[in-house]
Amino acid sequence: MNREKQKKVLITLGCVCLILAFLPVFTDSRYFMHLIIMTCINIMLGLSFSMLFSTGLITMGAAGFWGIGAYTSALLVLKAGLTFWIALPLAALMTVFVAFVVGIVIVRAPGVAFIIQTMVVNMILVQVFGHFEFFGGWAGLLDIPAPNPIGPITFTSKTANYYLILILLLVNILGFYALYTSRVGRAWSAIRLNARLAETLSVDIFRYRLAAFMISAAGAGLAGSFYAHYFQTLEPDMFNVFKSIYVQIYSILGGLNSYILGPVIGAAIITFVPELLRVGKEIEPIMTGMVLIFLVIFLPGGILSLPERVGFFRKGPMASSPEKVTVETEDEDVP
Amino acid sequence: MKPLLETRKLTRFFGGLAAVNDVDLQVAESEILGLIGPNGAGKSTFFNLVSGFHPVTRGTITFQGRDITGMKAHEVANLGIGRAFQAATLFAQLSVFDNVFNGFHRHYQEPVWKAFFHLLSVRQEEQNARRKVLEIIDFMGLADYAGRKAQNLPHGHQKILGVCVAMATQPKLLLLDEPFTGMHPEETAVMMKVVGKIRDSGVTIVIVEHNMEAVMRLCDRIAVLNQGRKIAEGPPDEIARNPEVIEAYLGSDEEEA
Repeated sequence: MNREKQKKVLITLGCVCLILAFLPVFTDSRYFMHLIIMTCINIMLGLSFSMLFSTGLITMGAAGFWGIGAYTSALLVLKAGLTFWIALPLAALMTVFVAFVVGIVIVRAPGVAFIIQTMVVNMILVQVFGHFEFFGGWAGLLDIPAPNPIGPITFTSKTANYYLILILLLVNILGFYALYTSRVGRAWSAIRLNARLAETLSVDIFRYRLAAFMISAAGAGLAGSFYAHYFQTLEPDMFNVFKSIYVQIYSILGGLNSYILGPVIGAAIITFVPELLRVGKEIEPIMTGMVLIFLVIFLPGGILSLPERVGFFRKGPMASSPEKVTVETEDEDVP
Repeated sequence: MKPLLETRKLTRFFGGLAAVNDVDLQVAESEILGLIGPNGAGKSTFFNLVSGFHPVTRGTITFQGRDITGMKAHEVANLGIGRAFQAATLFAQLSVFDNVFNGFHRHYQEPVWKAFFHLLSVRQEEQNARRKVLEIIDFMGLADYAGRKAQNLPHGHQKILGVCVAMATQPKLLLLDEPFTGMHPEETAVMMKVVGKIRDSGVTIVIVEHNMEAVMRLCDRIAVLNQGRKIAEGPPDEIARNPEVIEAYLGSDEEEA
């Protein structure tokens, strides 16, 4: 990406951050704030899905790792008496560790096998959460305390929680963005676009995919930890495969080719639209399923591919003509 | 002189069928070795064995005096064996530039955490890589296409790009799998020039090819495989007169044109 484009991205990002930072000033609806917070959590899950997708893997287990984060954090606070601020990173670490152990076994699996295995892992996790009393059983964990106050700031209000998840989301996005624009991200997409070729270019597919699996789990773990203390109740069924399918739809709806913007847009729409339309909880999955089917058939590139498809931003038929080659030269950096 | 690549009794079975059978082959430094044979002779399997895509059933492969038998594809690539595939195997959605850029993966020295923070040293390293990408693209005559998506290139250019990508890894040994297949004469001429230039830059090349004319003109030495076995080896004119080779090719001659 060249400087010009980088600047544009930064400015846009700055504006969005500014709007988001002052959002609570404009609304005092707790319901709206709740939706925004859930959107942020869902975005983090979508980002986690997209990171694996960037290496050519499709996971159906995102919700499971989200659950690991949530349960670890809740148990550390409830049973070990730690503060939320220590439990948060520990929950992420735990998620990464589980991803490492699971990943070693399943990351080698090709295509469909990986999808099914992540799904099975997700199902097993839900069973584990529900079966053992240690995790609160099927009734779940209750009365998980809100994040401990820092000085005068308490986390009992929606607004405070909103800022907390916003910061987590921002850290998540920046971290992932840094990875995608580095050689790691390039190796990932090389694997996605042509694994065989990537291998002959000495990309260690297993290691890179395992890394993606672990890093994406870290994001889901952070989101889980926050969710536990925000929602203050955990039930095993919150983390079942259905949620994983939803996470998948966030990324597909937004656009699979954009690993960050895709989940952001997709998660926002899927979280908000059914609520705004006042769709009943029973009908909502059916609608979402229909959305997925329509997407796959009519808009496989997701919402982000719409402008291109409609022809808004098309620069003419020779958009990539040889004259227009711009190769990034950061000459000032080179002595 | 010690050979750059050496295989001893290299064998690979698929089920009960020996695709490559007891092949002893030596590739000397900075030569062009042609590997020919009728369809199903085991040429592509031989490449797959050397580049680590298939496990070896029996025998050894040595590269620069180092045993590379059983190494994985990315490890072999990291030692300096580049490969261009038969069907133009590219990152189709990426530009020509980015295709070649991806080939630089093995040259990054800076640790990953520095790459994560995009530190100055990393940016410089990538800047150097970008410059070299342009050099390679220029060297191979694709400079006019740098910004085009690989999938929009004509077939001949795609194959040259495939060689470009392999060259970006800066290999010592380059395996070219049927570089001339499906090309019209003009493209063939360009590709021959490209291969010649690569050899002149000091890279050793092994070519699997059906286009006899190109092989005869390019190669210093030719090895002939038939039904998994090596049946002849020597300079092109000698191979052309070898009765065993002629017999192996009888009946499959029409395909070669």
